[in-house]
Amino acid sequence: MLRYIIRRLLMTVPTALLVAIAVFVLLRLVPGDPAQLMLGDTATEETLAELRRQLGLDQPIPLQFLYWLGNVLRGDLGRSITNDLPVLPLIVDRFRVSATIVVAAVVLASIIAVPAGMLAAWRQNSPGDLVIVAGATLMLSIPSFWLGLLMLLLFGVKLGWLPVVGYVSFAEDPGRALAYIVLPIATLTLIEIGVVTRMARAATIEVLRLEYITHARAKGVPEGRVLWRHALPNAFAPTWTVIGLILGNLLGGIAVVETVFTLPGLGRLLVDGIFARDYPVVQGCLLFTAIMYVLVNLLVDLLYPVFDPRVTAE
Amino acid sequence: MRRAALASLALLLGAAMPAVAQSPATLRAAINADIRTNDPGVNRDGNTDAVMMHVLEGLVGLTEDGDVGPLLAERVAVSEDGRSYTFTLREGIRFHNGAELTSADVAWTWRRFLDPATKWRCQSEFGGKGLTRIEAVETPDPRTVVFRIEKPTALFLSVMARPDCGGSGILHRDSVGPDGKWKGPIATGPFRFGEWKRGEFVELERFAGYRPLPGARDGYIGGKRAEVERVRFVVVPDPSAMKAALLSGSLDVVTDVAVDDIAELKRRGDIAIDLAPTMGVNAILMQTRDPVLQDVRVRRAVAHAIDAAELTTAITQGTARPNPSIVPVPSSYHGAAHDRRIAADPALARKLLAEAGYRGQPVKILANKRYGSMYDAAVLAQAMLQQVGMAAEIEVLEWATQLDRYLKGDYQMMSFSYSARLDPALNYEMMSGPKATQPRKIWDNPDALKLLDEAMVVADRKRRGAIFDRLHEMFLADVPMLVLYNGVDIAASGKRVKGYKGWAAGQPRFWGVTLQ
Repeated sequence: MLRYIIRRLLMTVPTALLVAIAVFVLLRLVPGDPAQLMLGDTATEETLAELRRQLGLDQPIPLQFLYWLGNVLRGDLGRSITNDLPVLPLIVDRFRVSATIVVAAVVLASIIAVPAGMLAAWRQNSPGDLVIVAGATLMLSIPSFWLGLLMLLLFGVKLGWLPVVGYVSFAEDPGRALAYIVLPIATLTLIEIGVVTRMARAATIEVLRLEYITHARAKGVPEGRVLWRHALPNAFAPTWTVIGLILGNLLGGIAVVETVFTLPGLGRLLVDGIFARDYPVVQGCLLFTAIMYVLVNLLVDLLYPVFDPRVTAE
Repeated sequence: MRRAALASLALLLGAAMPAVAQSPATLRAAINADIRTNDPGVNRDGNTDAVMMHVLEGLVGLTEDGDVGPLLAERVAVSEDGRSYTFTLREGIRFHNGAELTSADVAWTWRRFLDPATKWRCQSEFGGKGLTRIEAVETPDPRTVVFRIEKPTALFLSVMARPDCGGSGILHRDSVGPDGKWKGPIATGPFRFGEWKRGEFVELERFAGYRPLPGARDGYIGGKRAEVERVRFVVVPDPSAMKAALLSGSLDVVTDVAVDDIAELKRRGDIAIDLAPTMGVNAILMQTRDPVLQDVRVRRAVAHAIDAAELTTAITQGTARPNPSIVPVPSSYHGAAHDRRIAADPALARKLLAEAGYRGQPVKILANKRYGSMYDAAVLAQAMLQQVGMAAEIEVLEWATQLDRYLKGDYQMMSFSYSARLDPALNYEMMSGPKATQPRKIWDNPDALKLLDEAMVVADRKRRGAIFDRLHEMFLADVPMLVLYNGVDIAASGKRVKGYKGWAAGQPRFWGVTLQ
């Protein structure tokens, strides 16, 4: 098991390196000059040249890459071009905000969606199934920014129950922190419910058609037990993979939700970095995201045998 | 179970209440991105200037119409040869740490500004590469500072007052540590720098020891009386969220309201709208080196084809007035001569195109969607150009890419907005220059450049005014771009805010503003 984990972890190294090269090259291919963006249209040729020199942008690109990579290997992701802060602490700080929202939303979405999907599968083609499938499809189709804005208007503006802008960390004031993250978590939960429900439903339908389920029913096992004891463990495994993918994906950035709810998360850091051509921040965010994605998937794979004993980590 | 759920909800809402409750002492205003630094003029953008100009004060400051007036100085005397500026400091001015302002602080601040290691944005202007070179900053007595400069320039004070230079705000030496590293601004403005939570908010606190100038609010000078205890600039990147926050009372002032929202906000009755013409310039640029547009007849045809008045009304919904001149409407130099325009005349446009031998070659207008007004202007211009038979197309780019193309001069036409420059010479300087060495320049006319050089040196207002009038005539003859209108700063404030007023610089001011 340990060897497997070490092997998987070592596999992240070439992945991260490929991501680093791809991000670096692609970012340099995109037109736009960070110095020009920083100085704006009032810049003169002299000030532009001076700023490019200060930022090291006057060096040949391969040299810039080697310099950056060397620093990355020493655990230094560089300093932000826009605010001169070290990138790694900035990312970790922002990641905490994103991770709180994402983990809560994915857990909540799973708690709601897995039983809903199973229920729909159990009563396939019934009105209940139709309602659940229609609801899941609706949730899948709604853009997150639109749902977020609707939530803001309803709970923030119309009812005045929850704050509309701002963020308070749990360390500062847990009560207020909760009030600020309710709406983003609810928005993400509703959006993700759609995918998980559909996956859980499809996987359960598959399992319910298998012979051992028919056998259990023929033996007179109650339906609840058939579902809970026999169908769920086998149906949950593929759903768990999807949940893992969603988690990895969302941890990489929920920029839209963070922008609508003014959360200082990783996604917003990345988007702001792209707009400002803040190369160190964008490179750092994407590298961090890639590593997180690999790690989350490793965790999912390691937990897989818990749900499906036929699968071993090895 | 149900009771427990209700209790949890009540607890949650109870916890939320302090967050949404309105503090009578804190004014909350929106900014769409975090500030970059609090080191004046070092790493800045519009939001940084907006916040920091509440904290900083220089020897001089901008007036409501873009002129310059004394701020920390009581008076300014200029020597006959224009190479020596003597500032007499106001008495009793204190820094945020309680220390009294002296000429030594001014000299220390300027030494720091002029040191390349500070990376002050305007160092090149005063360090010999740009405007002039400051040869010496002398302090004959605690209330007198003398600046000696290499060559005379009419813009010495104007550039000193520029918000993007941090208003050349005078700092106490404790703003930096013993190692010379920046700690935070200890300045003399009506607000002191408070808490800054990156990506979330910046809070300014009223400075009780501030001594305002007599009189009313006037640009960045005049009576700057801080009436609220705190101003919190909240970072809200999404315009819809900003609007929702204003409507819910979570924000008191939003200074970047979309023109489409004005009618809706006005209808509510509990939101006040403030419109202030700014000095930003919105224009359609034409590349005079482009094979199609290098013929001045084609450029004139473009100008005759585009009805700037109609376009302005459509885009700004009547909030801005068309302005054909680079000299902005709020400028004291904008006289009748600058209202002369190339009239909309589609028939004449067609005739000019025929004379120029235009045969339907495509003409691409670059635009972006980050700034909606630029995109709208491109769409309307395209339609108007198509009406006279020009094969106008739009290419939508991301803003950074468009800026890059602007810098390289790599375009045929471009819908573009220039940020506010408060002296007309700076406006003309922005657009004029030799394209061979500075491809971003729009207007390459040696005679105009000579006149502009003169405007940079001459201090006499009448003579400067005459130069700007002449430049406008020449500009209309060359038509390197079609100036459309100056921007309008649209601000919305909640019912408890009184006294908010925008102005030509397009930046918020929260002195003279009260909360009820």
